Amino acid sequence: MGTTVNSTLLHRNTPKEPKKKKTFPLEVPLYMGPITFIVGVFVFAPLLIILFYSFLKTGNYGEIVYEFTLKNISAILGAGYGGVFLTSFYLAFQTNVICLLVGYPLAYYIARYGGQYKVLLISMIIIPSWVAYLIRLYALKTIAGNKGLINTLLLNLGIISEPLEILYTPFIVMVGLVYTWLPFMVLPLHASLEGLEPALLEAATDLGASPVRRFFRVILPLTRGGVIAGSILVFIPTLGDWLVPALLGGAKVMMVGNLVAFQFTVAGNIPTGSSLAIMLAATLILTLYLAIKWGGKEAMERIV
Amino acid sequence: MKRKKLAPKILAGLSFMAYFFLWAPVLVIIVFSFSANRYGVAWDGFTMKWYGALLQNVAVKDALIRSLIIASVTVVVSTLIGTITAYGLYKLHFRGKRFLRTSILLPIIMPGVVTGGALLVFFTRVIHIPLGYPSIIIAHIVFSTPLAVFVILGRMQRINWAWEEAAMDLGANRFRTFVRVTGPLLMPAIMASAVLIFPWSFDDFVITYFVSGIGSTTLPIYVFSQMRFGATPVINTIGALFVAVTIVALFLQRAIEKRSKATL
Repeated sequence: MGTTVNSTLLHRNTPKEPKKKKTFPLEVPLYMGPITFIVGVFVFAPLLIILFYSFLKTGNYGEIVYEFTLKNISAILGAGYGGVFLTSFYLAFQTNVICLLVGYPLAYYIARYGGQYKVLLISMIIIPSWVAYLIRLYALKTIAGNKGLINTLLLNLGIISEPLEILYTPFIVMVGLVYTWLPFMVLPLHASLEGLEPALLEAATDLGASPVRRFFRVILPLTRGGVIAGSILVFIPTLGDWLVPALLGGAKVMMVGNLVAFQFTVAGNIPTGSSLAIMLAATLILTLYLAIKWGGKEAMERIV
Repeated sequence: MKRKKLAPKILAGLSFMAYFFLWAPVLVIIVFSFSANRYGVAWDGFTMKWYGALLQNVAVKDALIRSLIIASVTVVVSTLIGTITAYGLYKLHFRGKRFLRTSILLPIIMPGVVTGGALLVFFTRVIHIPLGYPSIIIAHIVFSTPLAVFVILGRMQRINWAWEEAAMDLGANRFRTFVRVTGPLLMPAIMASAVLIFPWSFDDFVITYFVSGIGSTTLPIYVFSQMRFGATPVINTIGALFVAVTIVALFLQRAIEKRSKATL
C-alpha cells in the first residue's frame, strides 16, 4: 500500500518541468547578472569581510589592530559566550516544540473543519504576523509587566498578594518567541494537511483504527514534511533572534543575537562582534544542513 | 463513538486559545489607544486625543514618509530584479545554477543581526557608503530580493506556459511575446511578491537599526526609541492604525485577485 500512496501524493505535487529552450549567448548574464551582483557584492563580500575581521585583535580603545589572533573564536568556544549559545539553543528548541504542540491542532482544525471559513482563519493567523512586530512585542511586555494586565487581574482577584515576576524571565522570552514565530509553523503544517488524501483517513477508520491510532500511524507520518518544514522555519529565525530577548528578557536572558547586536552597535568592538556573527551564521547553516539531510529532502521539496 | 464527536470540540477549543494568544496583544493595543491613561497601559475612559496628538506629531510624520519612500523603492527594485531572476531560473539551464539558487537563500536564512552587522562593517569600513537613505535602501533590497525571487518562482510553476508558445508559434517575436503575453501571465506573481515585500520592508527593524546611522529614523526605529522612554500612547495609536491598514490592504488584495480571476 505504501508505494501507491507515495506515488499518488508525489504525482499530484510534482511541478511540470519547463521545456528546454535554446539559450542565446547573452541570455544567462542578462537574467542572472543583477542577482549575482547583489548576492556577490552585498552578501558574500560583507560576510567574507567580517570573517576576516573576526581573526583580528582589538586595541585598548576598541580600535581594530591588524594582527592575526584566534582569541575571538576561542572566547566563544570557551565558557564566556558558550553558555549564551547553549541558552539560545535551549530556548529555540523549547519554542519549536511548543509551536508544534500549539500549531498542529490549529492547522488540523483549519484543514479539517475550516470549511468555508478557511481563508478567514488563515488570514487571522497571518494578519498579526504582518502588523508591527515591535509594537506587538511591546504590547506583550505591557501585558506581562509588574503593573501589567495579568498581574493587575490576579492581584484584584486576590489570587496573589505580590506581583508575579514574569517579565525578564526565560519563560516570557519563550512566550514571545512562540508568539512571533507560530504562524511560520502553522502555514506549512496546514499546507501538508490540506494535501492529505481524505480516502486514506476513511480507509484507516474503515479498517478499524481508533482516532488516536489513525493519527499516529497515518496522519502524522504523511505530514512529516510539514512538521520538518515548519520546524526549520521556526528554529532558524528563533536561534538568531535579538528583539524578543532584548525587549522581554532585558539583561537577564541573553541570546546570541543580543551579544552580536551589543558588540556592533554599543561596544563598537568589530572583531568580537564579527566572530560572534560568523559563529552564529555557521551554526545556523550547519543546523539547516543537518535538518535537510536527516529530514528527507523529498519531504522538504513537497512543501516548499 | 462518543470520542469522535468530542475531538472536533477539543480541537476547536485549542484553536480558539491559539487565536486568543495571537490576537490578545493586538486587541490590547487597539483598546488602549482609546484610553485616557497617559501611559497607555490602563483603561481610564474613552478618548480620541492620542489620535489628535499623532496627527500633530512631526517626528512621526517624518519617519512615516521616510519608511514609505524606502519601502516603495525596495518593492520596485526587488520585484523587478526578482522577476528577471525567477524567469531566468525557471527557463534557463546553465552551469552553477544550483549554487546560485542556494546562495540566493542565504540572506533569507541569515539572522538580522548578522546581515545588519556585516553590512554595517561593509558600508562604513570598506565601500564608504553614507549611512542613511543609500545604506538603508541597499540593505532592504538585499533582504527583499531573495524573497521576491522565491515567491515569483513558486507562482511560476502554476502558470500555463502554453500561452507563450502559442504567441511565438503565431508569429510574435520574443520582445512582443514578453510584453503582451509573458508579462500579463507573470502579473499575479509580481503582485504577490510586491504585497509581501512592502510590509516586510516597511516593518523591518533589526537590519535598519544597524545601517541607518544617526538622523535617518524610520517608523519602526521611531517606535523603538519611544519605547525606551517608557510607555507612550503614541505607540498604541500607531499600532492600531497599522492593524487597520493591514486588514484593509488584505481585503483590497483579495478583491483585486477575485476580479482578475473573473476577467481571465
